[in-house]
Amino acid sequence: MNICGYYPESINEGEGLRAAIFISGCRHRCKGCFSPATWNFNYGEPFTLQRQDEIIADIAANPLLSGLSILGGDPFFSAPEVSAFVDRLLDKAGPVSIWIYTGYTYEELIRDTASPEFELMRRCNVLVDGRFEEALRDPSLRYCGSSNQRIIDIDTSLAAGKPVLWTEKYSFHS
Amino acid sequence: MALKNYAYNNEEQMLGEIMKLGEDIIDSRDLELLRENANLNGESFSGKMSKFGSEYAKWYAKHFIMPQPVVSAIDDNYVYVHDLDQYAIGTTNCIFIPFDKLLREGFNTGNGSVRPPNSIMTAMALVAIIFQSQQNSQYGGVSSNKLDHDLAPYVAKSFAKYFRKGLDYFEEHPQTDLGDISMSRTDLKERYPKTFRYALKETEIETLQGAESLIHNLNTMSSRAGGQIPFTSINYGTCTSPEGQLVIDSLLTATMRGLGSGETPIFPIQIFKCKQGINQAPGEPNYHLFLKAAECSARRLYPNFANLDAPLNLQYYNPADPDTEFATMGCRTRVLSDRFGRNHLSGKGNLSFNTLNLVKLGLEHGIALGRRKTADEKGFYRALSHYLEIALEGLLHRFRIQAAQKAKASDFMMREGVWEGGEQLGPEDKVGDLLKHGSLSIGFIGLAECMKAMYGKHHGEDSAIYDKAFAVIAHLREYCDRKSEELNLNITLFATPAEGLSGKFTKRDRVTYGSIEGVTDREYYTNSFHIPVYYPITAARKIQLEARFHDLCNAGAISYIELNGNARSNPAAFLNIVQYALSQQVSYFSINHPIDRCSACGHEGIIGATCPSCGAHEKDVHIRRLRRVTGYLTGDFQTRFNSAKQAEVRDRVKHTQ
Ligand code: SF4
Repeated sequence: MNICGYYPESINEGEGLRAAIFISGCRHRCKGCFSPATWNFNYGEPFTLQRQDEIIADIAANPLLSGLSILGGDPFFSAPEVSAFVDRLLDKAGPVSIWIYTGYTYEELIRDTASPEFELMRRCNVLVDGRFEEALRDPSLRYCGSSNQRIIDIDTSLAAGKPVLWTEKYSFHS
Repeated sequence: MALKNYAYNNEEQMLGEIMKLGEDIIDSRDLELLRENANLNGESFSGKMSKFGSEYAKWYAKHFIMPQPVVSAIDDNYVYVHDLDQYAIGTTNCIFIPFDKLLREGFNTGNGSVRPPNSIMTAMALVAIIFQSQQNSQYGGVSSNKLDHDLAPYVAKSFAKYFRKGLDYFEEHPQTDLGDISMSRTDLKERYPKTFRYALKETEIETLQGAESLIHNLNTMSSRAGGQIPFTSINYGTCTSPEGQLVIDSLLTATMRGLGSGETPIFPIQIFKCKQGINQAPGEPNYHLFLKAAECSARRLYPNFANLDAPLNLQYYNPADPDTEFATMGCRTRVLSDRFGRNHLSGKGNLSFNTLNLVKLGLEHGIALGRRKTADEKGFYRALSHYLEIALEGLLHRFRIQAAQKAKASDFMMREGVWEGGEQLGPEDKVGDLLKHGSLSIGFIGLAECMKAMYGKHHGEDSAIYDKAFAVIAHLREYCDRKSEELNLNITLFATPAEGLSGKFTKRDRVTYGSIEGVTDREYYTNSFHIPVYYPITAARKIQLEARFHDLCNAGAISYIELNGNARSNPAAFLNIVQYALSQQVSYFSINHPIDRCSACGHEGIIGATCPSCGAHEKDVHIRRLRRVTGYLTGDFQTRFNSAKQAEVRDRVKHTQ
């Protein structure tokens, strides 16, 4: 598996300051995709164990981070590898809040609870789901690109048996 | 008077130099000269007029007034004397204004006397007038260190006025004397609910209007020489009375609403004072205002955050006296302690400061020039001591000129007691004995490039170098403390905000030494002790590294974090970063983030080449790009910044993506 980007700190991919990793490879091919180059599974650099450990160390050492965001491409096309990385992270750095982005919908991901995709989602806390729809593009949306996409609280949704939207911790009023 | 410092070969040569000074200004030949100060439109008539005076005043000071070693140190690019044009006439730098006293007692502007205000609207209007009256008594910033505390009584006056009106309207006639009517009188609220609600509503409306007019006033009065807007700063955040809270809330609301067409106000610089127990955690009385301040800062770049709990500031804090709460001139100047006992803020200020070019000392004694294999630390410290002496000599010489001025020269400041005790002086009396409560500061610039020149790395790159860098600044502080004792004066260490200066030192050093990688190859030197803006480092690490320097810089310092992204849509990140910086004992902190404004549709946020909202391209419509330099905002960095600062903005790596 390759990654095509890593930010040690970002404010654009989820609540709080988060580390962000971009996993290469996507087969959704949304029209107007922000970066078709990331569709290629060979794009970027190999996500070696050494690179993983560097990033895990960064995350563990940064007192300001609210967590990690995993984006792409679409990480769900590499679900088993990404799950393995998440396990490694949680094992070495303790509890870390994880946001994950995908072109699949929540409903698609829970269809088969034995699938590697479901396994990956289960490990994360917040899912930003849905394909990018050019007609629904809205630059004023936070943490996503088009208005069909949802920000879903994974644990609450699984418990409730239906998708429950995530609510922010702090909010500015106006 | 005889020429003191410079021997011309003949009078013609001297005349030639003077004439060139004028011609450069008239023809706008030297844009760098005209843009030295981003707050001044140097290409306008009034800007040129003021430049004329200023350039000649500098020339005169250097040739006729100043001690020779100081002039040589300036000419050799080791020392910078700030506001040199004010040197010969003995003007002082900045002040915290005792608004409480001026409003309570009324004042005289020189052209007419003003009665104490009876409503918050009038009080807010008078704040602008006081700022304006004071600003030409000095050359630097004018600041309010506790505007919420100072204005709360006038909110109460407005409230009482509306309350009495309300009793009449709603026919809730009281049987007994009501005593002092104020917003915290819950008993009145129970007995006269309609009246109380009416009075509250009206007071809120009036306070907000007052705050809006104050901010508009402070952005539009080009009353300073050269058509400048006065450098105004307001500090607030700790007053917990309902009246004080309303002042804070209204100032924040007005700032968020912006100016006439919704644009971000440049002035006043606003500083929110953070104090545990008052506004730092849920349940504390002003926590909601801290959250609102963070929101405002995420939208408008202000307020910045002052840390009352940092040890440097906490030691003077007396909860019963808001005048002992740390506050700052927006640019970072700090005056709190006073060896003559005035350990509070208002009624005094900084007198002047001189800045050392650490980079040149580093080049002379380091490895960067290839003259030696290891840095000559002994030589470095010897030279540092030498130039410290000269910088101080300049401050003391200037102080004698300042002290010899008559009270009538800084008329409003002294007559009205803006400078504490000034009201007791006659117009002909000398001000010296009062000025000693102010501070004389030694500043420094380019610690990062200095380390690079000495050792090949800066203090963000290597922990051993960090220790050496820390030792240099600790040495400067020890020197200031020692001299304070010896001379019985307030001599303090300043992390210089170097707007015009950062490029000037560099330009001349590059002529001398050529372009040296990581040292002179950029157009500016890094501000004070900061980690260079172009160096990739996480926000947390930058805060940790810079925090320890704050405690050393008792004349003031600020740390910034650059955020790349829409700060206003991620309040959690914004709050985390601010509170982390406070927890690390950073004394004064702010977050920089880009604010672009499309002039076609008014969209504000981050705008690349095309506006994400209306699709207009920057080739066709003006995109106003607001950035911060040295603590002040500047309307549009491409047209008003000098080239060194433009380069700095271009080079900033965002600490977060
Ligand atoms: S899911 Fe994302 S990466 Fe994949 S095509 Fe759609 S927008 Fe592009």
